Amino acid sequence: MRLLRFVARRLLQVVPVLLGVVVVTFVLVRVLPGDPIRTILGPNATDADAAAARARFGLDKPMWQQFLDYLKGLATGDFGTSIQSGTSVGSELALRVGPTLELVVLSVSLALLIAVVLGVWSARRADRFGDHSVRILALVGNSMPEFWLGLVLILVGYSALGWFPAPSGRVDPDTNLTPLTGADLLDAILTGNGPAFTSALSHLALPVATLAIVVVAPLLRSVRASALEVLRSEAYLAATTHGLRPRTLLRGYLLRPTLVRLPALAALVFGTAIGSTVLIEYVYSWQGFGQWALRGLLYRDYPVVQASVLLIALGYVIVFLIADVVHAVLDPRVRI
Amino acid sequence: MAEVRVEAGARSFSRVLILTGAAILVVVALAALAAPLLSSWGPEEIDANATLAGPGGAHLLGTDTNGMDVWSRLLYAARLDLGVAVSAVALAVVVGTALGLLAGYLGGWLDDVLMRIVDIFQAFPTFILALAVAALLGNGTVNLVITIAAVNAPAYARLVRAEVRSIRELPFVDASITSGASTVGVLWRHVLPNSLTPVRVIAPLNCGWAMLTLAGLSFLGLGVTVPGAEWGAMISLGSPDVVAGRWWTSVPPGLALLVCVLGFSLLGEGLQERADARRRS
Repeated sequence: MRLLRFVARRLLQVVPVLLGVVVVTFVLVRVLPGDPIRTILGPNATDADAAAARARFGLDKPMWQQFLDYLKGLATGDFGTSIQSGTSVGSELALRVGPTLELVVLSVSLALLIAVVLGVWSARRADRFGDHSVRILALVGNSMPEFWLGLVLILVGYSALGWFPAPSGRVDPDTNLTPLTGADLLDAILTGNGPAFTSALSHLALPVATLAIVVVAPLLRSVRASALEVLRSEAYLAATTHGLRPRTLLRGYLLRPTLVRLPALAALVFGTAIGSTVLIEYVYSWQGFGQWALRGLLYRDYPVVQASVLLIALGYVIVFLIADVVHAVLDPRVRI
Repeated sequence: MAEVRVEAGARSFSRVLILTGAAILVVVALAALAAPLLSSWGPEEIDANATLAGPGGAHLLGTDTNGMDVWSRLLYAARLDLGVAVSAVALAVVVGTALGLLAGYLGGWLDDVLMRIVDIFQAFPTFILALAVAALLGNGTVNLVITIAAVNAPAYARLVRAEVRSIRELPFVDASITSGASTVGVLWRHVLPNSLTPVRVIAPLNCGWAMLTLAGLSFLGLGVTVPGAEWGAMISLGSPDVVAGRWWTSVPPGLALLVCVLGFSLLGEGLQERADARRRS
């Protein structure tokens, strides 16, 4: 019950922030240079054509009127119509979010697992050879251009070895997968489509590996630092001097206090993952949210830019909220 | 006893990190300066008889789709990548520090307004923000420096502000105020030098990140565009070749980028480690 009240209160606090994001994006895309109408009409269009197109998208009205229309639409869940494609932004979004979410969630989960195992292992060997090697690896990961890593993995995994499919699409079209959520792996499970599942998995392998390697590096450093802090704390020293079994010591006294910090770290890494996804989707022709948002930005497609910025901000807020809830569940000292 | 050994190990490891990082950066900088001596082709010179020629022969690392020499472009690109990254971070440090200093020392409404603006900036993933700013400002080296600096400056403002707020409460600041020093004098002589400690550790790491951002923007066509020699743009041009197994157009520039960013990371990590060890002892 208290948890529900906490979540409700946090969501209410978020409303003004999101409203601020909506206003700022709305004004900025219109005030700053660039014209979405000119980009769809091409060089030969007359001024009359441009005016007609402007009227069709309601861009001839005063800005406050446009903003009120936009807000009215948002209240009913209508994100407007894309200027580039002429279809509803909401339905385009529904197609695009699933694939990206699948990529990000799988990669971040994989990265969390690797980071915890290696980070704790490394901290227990602080400043010995094993620790130094892990830290150098983390630094290399931190310095990795993700788009280049993607190309190298394609070069090795597809061109040289032929183990993975070509970087064009997310699932083999011959498997006749019925799209439900847009996340192909999930769709394959839900529809019980075995061949599609294998195909989706093999298409996912390289992009997930790319994103996981980029995300694991900062996580690994943080896990190592917090495990090290626990190991150097008086509480842990006291537990060691009591002569507890190594297993109890590791599970109860080292892992638990280290894991408590993990949700906040995972939330922070979410931002990095979203940024990298734009590049990684581009490399693997993933046709996800990142590519969609990038195209919207390049063509100044106002409704698309507005919707993607709002969605990223909303995603941030939700991820931090989940992190706080998980933290409260893991850490008995936190009262919410 | 064991604790002492660990501390000594940490200290020598941090020295290894700093020296390795610095050595890498010196080598890259020298290679960038000596580019005309190390290659016989110009960075934008086209060899029409050899498009997509493999490594070896007249072209050490082969040529790209335009028939430009990969090795010489690689060397000349170091100038642009290092130059843009370092000047963008320098600009971000100067602007961010100035804002953080004012906000932290003066407080009041100025502090509130500046920090709310910083909040808005930091509510978005930095690369997404860089994409948006770059798309709005357009191409050009100066615009790229401004873009990368604008995305980084808020973090410095927040960092310096926090330092300034704790330094402002220290007795020696009060002492110099009561002995009649002007506000500018106190800020410049006492507050600024002491608040830069964390900046010195973050800035090298940030240079590496700035380089990755520049290359990422160029890769998406929002930064330096071909024929300009920049590592991200070279990787972008070479990316279609990868499916056909032609590695030399995209792997070498990425490797150069990785090594150079790693140089900055090693330097930053070493400085961080040394600062931590000093704080603990």
